[in-house]
Amino acid sequence: MFTVDQNKLLSCNFNLLHLHFRIDLLNAHSAPLFVCCISDLYLLVFSPPAPLEPHFTDCVSREQETFRCWWSPGIFQNLSSPGDLRVFYLKKESLSSEWKECPEYIHSNRECFFDRNHTAIWITYCMQLRSQNTRYINEDDCFTVENIVRPDPPVSLNWTLLNVSPSGLSYDVVVIWTPPPSADVRVGWMRIEYEVQYREINTTNWEALEVQPYTKQTIYGLHVGKEYEVHIRCKMQGFSKYGDFSDSIFIQVTDIVTEEPLMFILVLVLGIVGVLILIMLIAITQQHRLMMILLPPVPAPKIKGIDSELLKKGKLDDLNFFLNGGGFGGLPPYAPEFYHDEPWVEFIEVEAEDRDGGGKDDSLTSDTQMLLGLTQTGCHHINLGCSNALGFPNNNLGQTSCYDPAVLEANSLMLMGSLLPGQPEEEEEEEKEAASFNDIKRCPTSAESDENKHNPVQPTWINTDFYAQVSNVMPSGGVVLSPGQHVRTQESSSTTEEETRKKENIIETEEKKQTKLLVVNPEGNGYTVENIRSPPPSTSVSPTEYQTVEPSPMSRSHGNQSANIVPDPPRCQIFTPVADYTVVQELDSHRSLILQPPPPPPPPQQSLPSCVPLKVPIGYITPDLLGSLSP
Amino acid sequence: FLVSVCVVWLLCVSVMLCSVCTAPVCTNAQVGCHAVSLNNLFDRIIQHSAKMHRVSNDLHQQFELHVLPSRNQVGRGGHICHTSTIMTPNGKENAQRMAREGLTQVILQLLMAWTDPLMNLHHSSTNVSVDMSSMVGELRRGVQRLAEKMHTLGLLTDPDSSVVSPEALMTSHPVPWRLMNLYDILYCFRRDSNKVHNYLRILKCRIVPEHGC
Repeated sequence: MFTVDQNKLLSCNFNLLHLHFRIDLLNAHSAPLFVCCISDLYLLVFSPPAPLEPHFTDCVSREQETFRCWWSPGIFQNLSSPGDLRVFYLKKESLSSEWKECPEYIHSNRECFFDRNHTAIWITYCMQLRSQNTRYINEDDCFTVENIVRPDPPVSLNWTLLNVSPSGLSYDVVVIWTPPPSADVRVGWMRIEYEVQYREINTTNWEALEVQPYTKQTIYGLHVGKEYEVHIRCKMQGFSKYGDFSDSIFIQVTDIVTEEPLMFILVLVLGIVGVLILIMLIAITQQHRLMMILLPPVPAPKIKGIDSELLKKGKLDDLNFFLNGGGFGGLPPYAPEFYHDEPWVEFIEVEAEDRDGGGKDDSLTSDTQMLLGLTQTGCHHINLGCSNALGFPNNNLGQTSCYDPAVLEANSLMLMGSLLPGQPEEEEEEEKEAASFNDIKRCPTSAESDENKHNPVQPTWINTDFYAQVSNVMPSGGVVLSPGQHVRTQESSSTTEEETRKKENIIETEEKKQTKLLVVNPEGNGYTVENIRSPPPSTSVSPTEYQTVEPSPMSRSHGNQSANIVPDPPRCQIFTPVADYTVVQELDSHRSLILQPPPPPPPPQQSLPSCVPLKVPIGYITPDLLGSLSP
Repeated sequence: FLVSVCVVWLLCVSVMLCSVCTAPVCTNAQVGCHAVSLNNLFDRIIQHSAKMHRVSNDLHQQFELHVLPSRNQVGRGGHICHTSTIMTPNGKENAQRMAREGLTQVILQLLMAWTDPLMNLHHSSTNVSVDMSSMVGELRRGVQRLAEKMHTLGLLTDPDSSVVSPEALMTSHPVPWRLMNLYDILYCFRRDSNKVHNYLRILKCRIVPEHGC
């Protein structure tokens, strides 16, 4: 079977004979007349390839304004001399046109040239050769000028390097040229399309790029080091005849300069240097931060929940707020942890025997009293290596705080005792505590004993058990303890005053102290004691049961009488002896401690009709109650 | 919510764009509408004409290839086209010397002459699937609009040759196109589309001053 492809080439494939040959239909002198098939064999019967008689070889127009025709005498060589053959043409403009002779002969070329005046577009011309007595006519020699146009090749070819691949092995070029000068492209009389072909030198196959109407073309993928040859040809838009090829230009790019890698290296080095400088700057400016990150400071020992920095800065407001649990007026959220981590919390165990207030005979001779020297069990002076100070094991970390023993009075001792709740039953721990407290046992001063004698009411707070549970910390810094077996009934104003005085003394001497017992003795300047001026009646039971220590130097201020943390005597005093300590089970949503169910309270010894017995077990303060204590 | 807002916005934009797209070309009476420039109109028309020429060329080539390959694409014997009666300039100089109005009229005459034969060709012949009559019709309307625009701009000043009405042009065709066979039609249409294309280019060069015209 035979196929005709786009390039007007007739391809024949003979299956039997395996013959492949292609016929250029356009350039063939004659077209196949018919196709004959015999079984599988297709035969193409051609007319004689070249006429033996004189004939026209070709007629071509270069710019669609003139054209020329060439003839050949054929076999008849006797007609080869000029003048033997004459060219006649017929211009089919109207029905009555006639044959005319060639307007211009160029015998040297056997060419007939038709100038502008004789050239008409879109009109059929038929050519004829005449000898003296014969006319040689070929029907194929009729044409219209626009169909025989073969434009001239473009001129002024040039190329520029477009880019080079990163590997440096291949590159792209842009080839530019100008249209053929003979073609009037500006007016638009001719619209030319270009076909660029290139090949590597000394190869036979040309690479043809796509036909396009612009005067530049990019060739991609040329190889470095190889030389390439490029030429271009033109054709009319909408027509199929190509002109001749232009003169070739040669493209060669030698080895690409190694500047590229140099550039890369340079850029890389500069980049690294810049980054290093940046890092150095950061390290220098952010030195402190870096030191913090790399070498974090060893955390200083501190009471859980208490910020030493806060106290150092003297921001007592913040501290109060902080101690108040963020303003909830309740226990701080960390309250459970507060107790969980402390080893001495475990001492807070409920003992059935201890609940009874009556059975508190032992408490009378409790460790507290023993420690305080009331029972004259003995006392030891502090000797912990503190210079004139009291060593006091304070917390898990085992650090000791030193107190000035001179300042150490029963009040502070109580404080310490309250901070170290012990269990009377657990003798081992008692002994431990006692041993630890051995250091803090001190002989009561004469003043104290005098006081004790003078003021029997006073040592109410001494009567309490040495081991007491700290149920909460006051916003003022005081510690709220649970009551011991013996509840303080009330405090007289004298007591209050004495306490105030004592506290003043304590304050003055202690204000310079840097203690770890930050709860009690915060050092601060403007520490405002927001404490219980007038506790609400509902909290009748609570205030008196608590022993608080006045830590602040506000004693210096005037109106500090009311700054006494010790609350005013409540209106209603219902005191029910309760256990000193119970186990804190959890913290409920209102930030109150949920404790183990307390023992049934004994009938109140003193009941005032105006009082409403609290549902809350006495001795335990709830957050709201505590909140009421603070202004 | 964001998605819905985006969708609504896109719809609005598309509606606006569509309104712009469907805006009709301004006639002379309308004031303030966006008018196409003469240069732009010429470019569009020339593009359309080039496309028409390409299509006609391809059709003719295909036909010749399957039927009868000829050397110069002339075929056997001369072709008599029904548009031979239309006086057309046969060369570059002739076309350049011709008046603008005359050239425009020739173009319109040619286009007018081909509407019917091509329509008939499309309907009757199964070989030709491309409806070239619509292309010719579009081009003709474009050239008519161009002529009107040139007239309003005062470029067509020759009073003798005004734009002839289509009806007058139609009657000046003595050669009936129904006698032409398919081969002739394809050949003649190819030739005439080339003519139209060349004339339009020359006309543009003369009306719209460009570099080199």
